[in-house]
Amino acid sequence: MNQELTKEIVKKLMEIKGEAKGTTFKTDAEHILKEKGEEGLKRLEAELESLGCPIKYQEIKAMAFYPVGLRAISLLAIKKIFNYDDKKIEEMGFLATKRSLIVKLFVRYFLSVQRVFSKEAPLLWEQHYTIGELIPVELNEEKKYAILRLKDFDVHPILCCYLGGYFCGIVQMIIKSPQINFEERKCTFRGDEYHEYLLKWT
Amino acid sequence: MDVKKDREKILLEDLTLLESYLRDLFFFLPIPVCLVSSIGIILEVNLAFEEISGYKIEEAIGKPIEALFIKEEIKEILKETFEKGFVKEREINFFTKDKRKILVSVSTKLRKSEEGEIIGYFISFFDLSNIKKIESELQNKLEELNKAKETEMILRIREMAKAKDVERKVEELEKARKALMNILEDIEEAKKKAEEEKNKTLAIVENFVDGLLIFDKDRRLVSMNPQAEIFLKLKKEEIIGKSIEDLKEIPEFKKIFEIVGLEIEPCFREELKMEENLILEVTSLPILLEKEKIGNLIILHDITREKYIDQLKTEFVSLAAHQLRTPLSGIKWSLKMILDEDLGPVPEGLKDFLKKALLSNERLIHLVNDLLDVTRIEEGKFLYKLEEKDVVKIVENVFNSYLDLAKEKNIEFKLEKLKDDFPLIKVDEEKIKLVIQNLIENALIYTLPKGKVTVTIDLQNGNFFFKIQDTGIGIPKEVQDRIFTKFFRASNAAKIDTEGSGLGLFVTKNIVESHGGKIWFESEEGKGTTFYFTIPVKKEEK
Repeated sequence: MNQELTKEIVKKLMEIKGEAKGTTFKTDAEHILKEKGEEGLKRLEAELESLGCPIKYQEIKAMAFYPVGLRAISLLAIKKIFNYDDKKIEEMGFLATKRSLIVKLFVRYFLSVQRVFSKEAPLLWEQHYTIGELIPVELNEEKKYAILRLKDFDVHPILCCYLGGYFCGIVQMIIKSPQINFEERKCTFRGDEYHEYLLKWT
Repeated sequence: MDVKKDREKILLEDLTLLESYLRDLFFFLPIPVCLVSSIGIILEVNLAFEEISGYKIEEAIGKPIEALFIKEEIKEILKETFEKGFVKEREINFFTKDKRKILVSVSTKLRKSEEGEIIGYFISFFDLSNIKKIESELQNKLEELNKAKETEMILRIREMAKAKDVERKVEELEKARKALMNILEDIEEAKKKAEEEKNKTLAIVENFVDGLLIFDKDRRLVSMNPQAEIFLKLKKEEIIGKSIEDLKEIPEFKKIFEIVGLEIEPCFREELKMEENLILEVTSLPILLEKEKIGNLIILHDITREKYIDQLKTEFVSLAAHQLRTPLSGIKWSLKMILDEDLGPVPEGLKDFLKKALLSNERLIHLVNDLLDVTRIEEGKFLYKLEEKDVVKIVENVFNSYLDLAKEKNIEFKLEKLKDDFPLIKVDEEKIKLVIQNLIENALIYTLPKGKVTVTIDLQNGNFFFKIQDTGIGIPKEVQDRIFTKFFRASNAAKIDTEGSGLGLFVTKNIVESHGGKIWFESEEGKGTTFYFTIPVKKEEK
């Protein structure tokens, strides 16, 4: 997934239909601020500007919608500038759940694993993205795993890692487990019909 | 459309502002706050929490709340939160990321949905470690202060106790002093009283008409009164403190010791002729203090005058008796001659009068004889003509002379000789005869008809032993000690025999004792009397 971020790619991504909530960008900015400080954030914004895609993270409104391609652009720029690997992107997704305003609004429904998995997860997705569908497939609390399917969301592979981390972050907020992992068993970028995540915990 | 979009835009801006406001407020809060889901997972924390716990916000979110506390403690608080809806300022231990345990004050507040469903709770806590540290320091300071105070207090109390103790001791001493003073006063008073008593006693002793000699328990003369000085013609300064061994060499004391003995034995009214014109009665008795003998007292009572009067009386009685005896004898013989009609016939009517006159005269002569015997005894002139005589024969003769009287009175009258052989004994026959007569006569007179009188003679321990036992009226106990005194007659005896002189037993006793013998009796009123006397078989002539 080491695709070079070029203006062409940016343009291509910006052409993808669909939107993402501003909060997703806010969490990116927050992460960079924490890890790289103001300077890091400025560097990121400068890079994006140079790509013809100027984003002022401070001005982004958490509850407003922005082009979904911008999500991939933001992450790709971060990856490029700060030389993040997939694991780091995954971590960003994981930590985003702790910072996301939408998640904070949703935690009121985090009453049980079953409820979050079967009812809230699809809604939560809808609160973040206007495209794609998150489908709860299987939850086995006894064997400590869950399977989520993401359909019609083919923005950029960088989001596969990010979302895997994000799903783990959500699981951590509903299951008392010190260790949660995911495996993207199916991926549209690998020729599958949909993305399928196997989430496991100890 | 534009209006709708404008409204959405405004709403979005409001939401953004609100989110910013809430975020700022939440993060500004200086008190650590956690938002916890209903299933116990931390969903949100603020910066203050980050600071106290050491966990970054992202690390804390997703952690089970019990991971930060001691399970049992937080469980209790959460249980109460779910029950009551909140908990306020409960002290609990909190674990930081680096496993430090700090004491915090926890407050909780339950969150519910509009539908009333529990959707989680807030936990805020306040670090008490500094407060506790300060509290502990304060406590320590306080304890130190208290200890110091306590020490000071103890010292003060001790000092006070000491002072009190001293005060108490002073009080006790004061009391003891007062008590001693009282005792001393009492002693002084007692001493004064004793002194007064002593002075009184001394005054009595000094002025006592009898001579007093006081010996200590070691038989040393410790005191004598002026009267004793006069009797003994000695100055007390010369003899006080001398032992009896020294005193016995002084003739005056020698005479006294001849009576009381060198051990100063008790005696009562023993006569002592100190010189021609001084006759004393010596009485000796032990001085006892709570049954312990602490000395002896010898009382010297002057009876010179009594003796002189007695002598005059005796002489008078003797003279009178002698003077009376001659005319009485003349009367006796004259009456006898008249009655024997030596002077001519006597009319029968006159004879009875003359017989009565003769009898009365006889009695008078008898009384005069008794009086003469008494005066002789008292003058010491009742001397005996001692010759070896057969006393048994004397007893038999007297006994036989009373057989008629016994028969007349219907009295069983017996003589028992417990030995076959009796030696001859040196006696004055007439006087012994008188003794036996007196005793037999008394027994027969005071024994009622059908009574019994038994005379027994024996030899016992080298003595002639005489016993006369009767079943007569007896001698009342209260007069038994006076029975041998002159002119004494028991009231029951006087009722039976109105003519007795009361001199018989006095004379009898003197005769027996003059022979070196002893006389005594046993008697019970209404049952009878037994008289005994002994006379030594071998007796030196007086």
